[in-house]
Amino acid sequence: MATVHLMTQHRSLAGGEAVVEADGATVGQIIDDLDRRFPGLAAALRAGSSAGIDGEIHAEPEFVRVQPDTVVYFVAPLTGG
Amino acid sequence: MSRTHITCTVNGEDTDFLANPGTSLLDALRDELGLTGAKEGCGTGDCGACSVLMDGKVTCACLVFAPEAQGRNLLTVEGLSSGAGISGDHLHPLQQTFLEGAALQCGVCTPGFLVAAKALLDHNPDPTESEIRYALAGNLCRCTGYDKIIRSVQEAAVQLRSAK
Amino acid sequence: MTAIENPKTYKWVGTRPIRHDGYDKVVGKARFAADLNLPGQLHAAYLRSPHAHANIVSIDTSKAEAMPGVKAIVTGDDFPALDITDPNHDVSINVLARGTVLYHGHAIAAVAANTKAEAQTAAAAIEVEYELLPVVLGIDEAMADGAPLVNEHNHQKFVGPSDPSNIATHTPLERGDADAAMAAADIVIEREFDCAHVHQGYIEPHACVIDTGADGKANVWASSQGHFMVRAITAAVLGWETSRIKVTPAEIGGGFGGKTTVYLEPVAARLSEKAGRPVKLVMSREEVLRSSGPAPGAKLRIKIGATSDGELTAIDGWMAYQVGAYGDFAGMVGAMSVASYKFPNLKLESWGVLSNTPKTAAYRAPSAPHAAFAIESIIDDIASELSMDPIELRLKNAAVEGDLTAMGMPHPRIGLVECLEALKASDHYQSEPAEGAARGVAVGFWFNIGEQSSATVNLNEDGTATVITGSPDIGGSRASMALMAAEELGIDVYSITPVVADTEAVGFTDVTEGSRATFATGKAVVEACRELKVELCRRAAQTMGVDEAEVEWVDGAAVSPSHVGGEPLTLAAITAQAKRTGGPLTATASLNAAGAGPSFAVHCADVKVDEETGQTEIVRYTAVQDAGTAIHPSYVEGQMQGGSVQGIGWALNEEYIFSSDGVLMNPGFLDYRIPVASDLPMIETIIVEVPNPSHPYGVRGVGETGIVPPMATIGNAIKAAAGVRMTSLPMSPPKVLKALGDAR
Repeated sequence: MATVHLMTQHRSLAGGEAVVEADGATVGQIIDDLDRRFPGLAAALRAGSSAGIDGEIHAEPEFVRVQPDTVVYFVAPLTGG
Repeated sequence: MSRTHITCTVNGEDTDFLANPGTSLLDALRDELGLTGAKEGCGTGDCGACSVLMDGKVTCACLVFAPEAQGRNLLTVEGLSSGAGISGDHLHPLQQTFLEGAALQCGVCTPGFLVAAKALLDHNPDPTESEIRYALAGNLCRCTGYDKIIRSVQEAAVQLRSAK
Repeated sequence: MTAIENPKTYKWVGTRPIRHDGYDKVVGKARFAADLNLPGQLHAAYLRSPHAHANIVSIDTSKAEAMPGVKAIVTGDDFPALDITDPNHDVSINVLARGTVLYHGHAIAAVAANTKAEAQTAAAAIEVEYELLPVVLGIDEAMADGAPLVNEHNHQKFVGPSDPSNIATHTPLERGDADAAMAAADIVIEREFDCAHVHQGYIEPHACVIDTGADGKANVWASSQGHFMVRAITAAVLGWETSRIKVTPAEIGGGFGGKTTVYLEPVAARLSEKAGRPVKLVMSREEVLRSSGPAPGAKLRIKIGATSDGELTAIDGWMAYQVGAYGDFAGMVGAMSVASYKFPNLKLESWGVLSNTPKTAAYRAPSAPHAAFAIESIIDDIASELSMDPIELRLKNAAVEGDLTAMGMPHPRIGLVECLEALKASDHYQSEPAEGAARGVAVGFWFNIGEQSSATVNLNEDGTATVITGSPDIGGSRASMALMAAEELGIDVYSITPVVADTEAVGFTDVTEGSRATFATGKAVVEACRELKVELCRRAAQTMGVDEAEVEWVDGAAVSPSHVGGEPLTLAAITAQAKRTGGPLTATASLNAAGAGPSFAVHCADVKVDEETGQTEIVRYTAVQDAGTAIHPSYVEGQMQGGSVQGIGWALNEEYIFSSDGVLMNPGFLDYRIPVASDLPMIETIIVEVPNPSHPYGVRGVGETGIVPPMATIGNAIKAAAGVRMTSLPMSPPKVLKALGDAR
């Protein structure tokens, strides 16, 4: 199970949890797994979040591969100047 | 509107062109003579991107009507280098020190700075840092913070003095 | 050529060659968008709203159409209505208003005519009937219960109500227990800050020339930070297929984030289509200030708690950013506020709030400067209350690898401690301030971003190379691309021609923003070069008659231990034989880069405050920043110096001043005063290099961060010099005088 850190604004959709566990070989599969337990979370995550994995921020994390011991941090999308 | 016939010297050459009386010298240089080195950054004389020398004096070409150039001697950035080939061998020392000193980033203010700096060094071959800063205070640069521009003018002044 | 310093093991990376595009720029040949003229070209001008908020009852263009020289007129009706969920909806109703004007200066119609004067005269003759609506200008006003709507199309983004709202984004960030930690803290300081809207102030106004042909295809020459972005937005707003548009990047005269969107191109393309002639559309400076995208203003309430030995234990913040008439603004405000210190407990609430003012745009490190002004001011007050050196307090709390950002994820390797140590050891910090001056320091950071880039590297038959990217060069990135390619291929940097190609000549590339060009596009260039080196070795193995596995690429040549008596095969020798060994040598790399490295900076200013006039003079200034690896140190310094001075302007002079009915009162450089040379000292720089592990040369990107520390740096220096804590930007003479008066 990967460990998933949710953004504060999404925690109400996950029963108030800040950190949850989820199954999946990609971030997208993890999002779908979370949505089975917390309906509506997938839509919120896909509406605008990047993911920090192993110290790198991925702007489009859907197909980024994860290992069972990966820690995924959902973060706000960043744009530059 | 009838157009006025204007004769003047531009970058050492006798030149003539037609312009409406209300046309700015900047528009005439850019649109009639194809000298697009001088830029319009504001159109109100605040940014200096359109600086040219008129009888040796730094002038915002956007604030001068084209007919006012009648009989005058104009220098634009295109006239700074002498016979500049692609090798850049004939660049004016200011152009060379701006390149070596990384005194330009986007480069849109650069023509105005070069012209204004030339006017300064023509009149004052050994300016202090403060004199350079005040002489160039009418030229806005938003990329560099001016540091490398000032240093490049200082270096060009040294080179010009030692060449004499 | 200029002398080359070489502090590292690299041959080219870290040197300072004259940039390839520099020659054209010093002789006046560089072509910016407004320098281009096409045969048969028309000139266009806008009619803009004289009201900050009004319904458009009717537009009558009949008189204007009959005027001399007029060839085409467009209004919002000439464009498709995009669905409100379309990501380009806001920009589509910003380029020309549909039904409602949302700010003073909002474009309503545009005219193409034979001359600019004819176009302007005709635009002024367009008759518009308005029905005035209430104007909302301030954050408190917009957030109040029952406030009139700024823009009926705005809905809160990401999570929030589905009804129209004056709120664009609301982003909470929490960890630990900030309330309990605050209650337990030995010292708590809370202050309220406000920041005026400021403008990027690029010297080149927005400009484009567009020729829409009889085949329905548009050729666009434009000044932008990303020509693929221009193509995408223009196509979306016109309702066209992307392939109908080709955008050629002109040289860009400054952007700083302000040219990451589109204002002119869809309008000029439609005018050109209607008139069947090329159309040139150039903003005036007044239009740039009134109707392009300034940076948000903000209001912040920040409370920080610390122990008596200087450990920062909690931060509680409320931050509202005034984003203008549209909610097209990322919810990253809070994320950009706290990353420099460990802060075990954190509670941040950030808001994007609408007002009837221009649509805001990115400006260098978007949203970080406002927060840093507030947070770094309070941290300075804590240091002074605890009689601690401001650098020591920051060192004690500085984030390192593994510490959490406000967003919750741990930092990768970062260089904040190294920057603080470098400033501490600097000549500036080791020297006393000049007589009458006092010193301030502050920290800033920005995450930087990756995004999509493409690069093609063509090896030419004589051994030179062409490096083709799609990243507009706004501060020397072509030189950086050439340096990385020279390092990889082992050939002279001047044997490489770096090119920024049009949208039909290189793969898709995102905007030059977020300090990403040298990082992400550089990564693509390096990947393409590495692919080429494998191919070069393969070709050399054939020629040498040795096993491919034995051939290595060393110093620009293929070498093989078993190639007895043979010289290494140089790149030029291999390219000369390319036809015989398998054809042209070319490689393309495209990527969506992850792993942009956060860049930290520490600034130090010595200032004098004239207590009679309230004027602040910067006597000495030093910027320290972690660049990861400086590919071309001169342009890294240039980014640091330019960012510093933009921040100095933000700190001391620059502000949008609106009348009570929403009219910008200072739409020119005379009254919107950016720093000039005589306002400033030299800007000393110290480049710190803590390589980013996610880039082949360790690049972090340096463009953004430099603008983050200056406001607090100068505010802290003013506090030290004059004893007053300034909490409102700009810290202009009237405000400083008032603060001095209040303190007496």
